[in-house]
Amino acid sequence: MGELLREYPGAQRALFRAYHIGGCSSCGFSPSETLRAVCVRNENLPVDEVIDTILAGHEADQKMEISPKEVAERLQAGEQIPLIDVRSREEWDAVHIPGSIFFTQELMQQILREWPKEREFVFYCHHGFRSLDAASFFAGHGFRNAHTMTGGIDAWSVGVDPELPRYRLE
Amino acid sequence: MNSADDFTKRVEEAIKNPKNLGELEGADAVGTVGSEDCGDMLRMWVKFKEVDGKRVIDKATFQTFGCETAIAVASLATELISGKTVEEALTMSGEDLSAPLGPLPPLKIHCAQLVEGALRSALAPSEQKVDSKNLAPTLLQQLQSPKQESKKIILGSSNEQQP
Repeated sequence: MGELLREYPGAQRALFRAYHIGGCSSCGFSPSETLRAVCVRNENLPVDEVIDTILAGHEADQKMEISPKEVAERLQAGEQIPLIDVRSREEWDAVHIPGSIFFTQELMQQILREWPKEREFVFYCHHGFRSLDAASFFAGHGFRNAHTMTGGIDAWSVGVDPELPRYRLE
Repeated sequence: MNSADDFTKRVEEAIKNPKNLGELEGADAVGTVGSEDCGDMLRMWVKFKEVDGKRVIDKATFQTFGCETAIAVASLATELISGKTVEEALTMSGEDLSAPLGPLPPLKIHCAQLVEGALRSALAPSEQKVDSKNLAPTLLQQLQSPKQESKKIILGSSNEQQP
């Protein structure tokens, strides 16, 4: 599995979205296990089908993406879509998108337990990588409309709100 | 009605009146899998009794922050294992425990495994399927890992090009 993840970094998201594998310690896998072994101990999932799912992972990642422009337009139009920030507290304190919510353990519990599975919400981070994992994690829990904002807050500063300062981490 | 509707209906039926919910006072064994943080935690309590010189499961209860399917399977499992010996209960897979619900959709197979895991953790704590210390990083860990704490944030203006 370690090798698979090196070759296909999106495999983890694909496996969790489709089969709820690799999301937390109770459904995780070891780097030394083979894909076949993981399939066998997950109710004998058909290996070929799982491979197809991993190969189609990139497309599935893209389906969860939403552009900063679309988010801005929909919020502007009055749609109530929670915009959730999954960056560090320090980054949030430095700069964040007005109206967004900071992601905490409590919020995660609340979403998992109380939010309807069809509710639409958008994650963002600095450049759109961590938020892709976040959206996949919730998609794996059955949230069909969990999105990730492409390019993160950086793309928002460039394309939507030039007043919001960009930053870099050193 | 298709099989997905069928499954949803059976789960709804099962969670309307979940059996053996909550902590069991004076339990002989407790097993937990997952964590509350993941939203997938499931804990089972088991109490034994002697019947004809055999030690069998008298009562089992559960508590979970998992989904409806986990509640349904856990509820069924506590009923299915009652009266069984540890060895008999350990032969039951997630598939066996969820059998009354019919075939599980792929995304829900994990829920039955969660129940099987909690049962194993209670009845055979020394035997775990995957060593949790030796796991590949999970999505949750990646989401919760220290987020660039050591890094300094250098603010610029939007017009400034950032790497």
